[in-house]
Amino acid sequence: MILPTPEEKKQWEEEGYLVFENAIQGEDLKRLQTAFDYWAEACKEEWLDRVEAGESVATFYDIPNPLEKDPIFIDIIDYPSYYGALMDFTDHDLILLGPQVRTVAPWPVSYTGWHPDVGHDNPLHIKVQIYVNDVQPGSGEFGFVPGSHKRDAGPYTRPMRQESMPGHKTFPGKAGTAIMFNSCGWHVSMDNHSDGPRKSIILIYEKRTQGRVGPEQYAAISEHCQTPERRKLFSLDG
Amino acid sequence: MPRIDAHLHVFTKASAEFPREISDVWPAEREEPVEKLLDEMEKHRIDQAVLVQMAGASIANHRYLLRCLKAYPNRFLGIGLVPEGHPNPADHMAELTDNTGIIGFRFSTFGGPRDIFAKMDVREFEAYPIWKCAAERDYVLWLYPNAINAHLLPYLIQEFPQVRVVLNHLAVCPGKGKFSWDAFGRPQIQVTGYNLTMHTTYRLARYENVNVHLSGQYAFSTEEFPYKDLAGWHRGLLTGFGAKRLMWATDFPWILEEPGYGKLTTVIEELLPDLSEAELADIMGGNAKRILRFPDL
Repeated sequence: MILPTPEEKKQWEEEGYLVFENAIQGEDLKRLQTAFDYWAEACKEEWLDRVEAGESVATFYDIPNPLEKDPIFIDIIDYPSYYGALMDFTDHDLILLGPQVRTVAPWPVSYTGWHPDVGHDNPLHIKVQIYVNDVQPGSGEFGFVPGSHKRDAGPYTRPMRQESMPGHKTFPGKAGTAIMFNSCGWHVSMDNHSDGPRKSIILIYEKRTQGRVGPEQYAAISEHCQTPERRKLFSLDG
Repeated sequence: MPRIDAHLHVFTKASAEFPREISDVWPAEREEPVEKLLDEMEKHRIDQAVLVQMAGASIANHRYLLRCLKAYPNRFLGIGLVPEGHPNPADHMAELTDNTGIIGFRFSTFGGPRDIFAKMDVREFEAYPIWKCAAERDYVLWLYPNAINAHLLPYLIQEFPQVRVVLNHLAVCPGKGKFSWDAFGRPQIQVTGYNLTMHTTYRLARYENVNVHLSGQYAFSTEEFPYKDLAGWHRGLLTGFGAKRLMWATDFPWILEEPGYGKLTTVIEELLPDLSEAELADIMGGNAKRILRFPDL
């Protein structure tokens, strides 16, 4: 397990994010890209039907139940390059809440505005966003306000334009980059003015609280979770 | 400041003088005339209103609306319809707006690619000539987009930033097959618990020419008046669009029996209790007067 360095810990505490360049690379990245593209294409028409029926968001889509579709989507949940940091920040008591294997369309406006996901009363809530394709500036890259995760930060208000958020930083990156952030912090997807989709995976974790995730949630992938650590991460043993 | 009901419908019995389409809900003998509306407005101190055409898009179908606008030129402005696939929509729109009180037109589709990932050339959208005409003649576009059309809107709005746009009924985009009528004869739209429009029409707040009317709560809520389950939607629209771009409306006559016109005049106070007096006055009429250019009384 690769634990965070003192510098990384300091940045996590003070700024609320860490960037892991080349977090996934080589054959693993190819596997991930292949599985992503295959399933995104396979699921697209059904998603469009659901958009038409008013049952799905029109501006992005997630591959349903990705963990059951390809083992690479399971393997990235506890991937060594960032898993040690996740464990360290949660006192080695981490659970997975869910993955979002997401394709974001080019659109004149980002599909979301600046927001935090949770309040400070929530157990530590962490997201890891992994770029599956290269994400250039202006193509839906992640944005974050460093330090906005702190209890005494702000107050923040949502600006009309993404780029108007005071103090924000944007994170273009190569395929395989992973960005870990504290979900109390204000974050966003910048506008995607490019010609192509932004392909990324957002992994959602939390420090364990009793009963937060039931053993049934990931029962379908139980065979891929043979070690005690994995079973704990996926809340398979209650 | 006037109190203006920014979206409602009136119609009379179907006749040779006032031909209109009929349905189970508005059969030929049903009428919801403007006099009935005026009674309600009088009782509840509503000064002016936007009459939105229904039951047919032909010129002849608009006769009752035109008569109402002519009879009460200071009380009402009108929104018309354009027949789908009309060979020359600009002529149709010109005829209906020739000093009549009709200020714009209502649409649900835009005729662009169904797939948001497709290449978007706004000039290829079927609705492009209508928007161009609206831009040239200063019409208001009154939009209630189908869910599969919502992603097309920003392309048209960017192309025609001078067009005043009003998103109908809380900016909801109804899904195919999700429309029905309830026991009170009111439209019902089945929506998901998670508000999908946060990621489409709410995002159009960035464009200053886009406004929203706050109405139709009964159609989306799973509760009775005052529809507290929709308070979050109202707060979201207020946060995004601000109090200067929201307009209150009742959707008369569907609401007459339940919850009643009078109750709906208080729905904004119920769902947005933290508004200042000035903000409430804007939403209850000031914005409609300014954006739609209602005449002074």
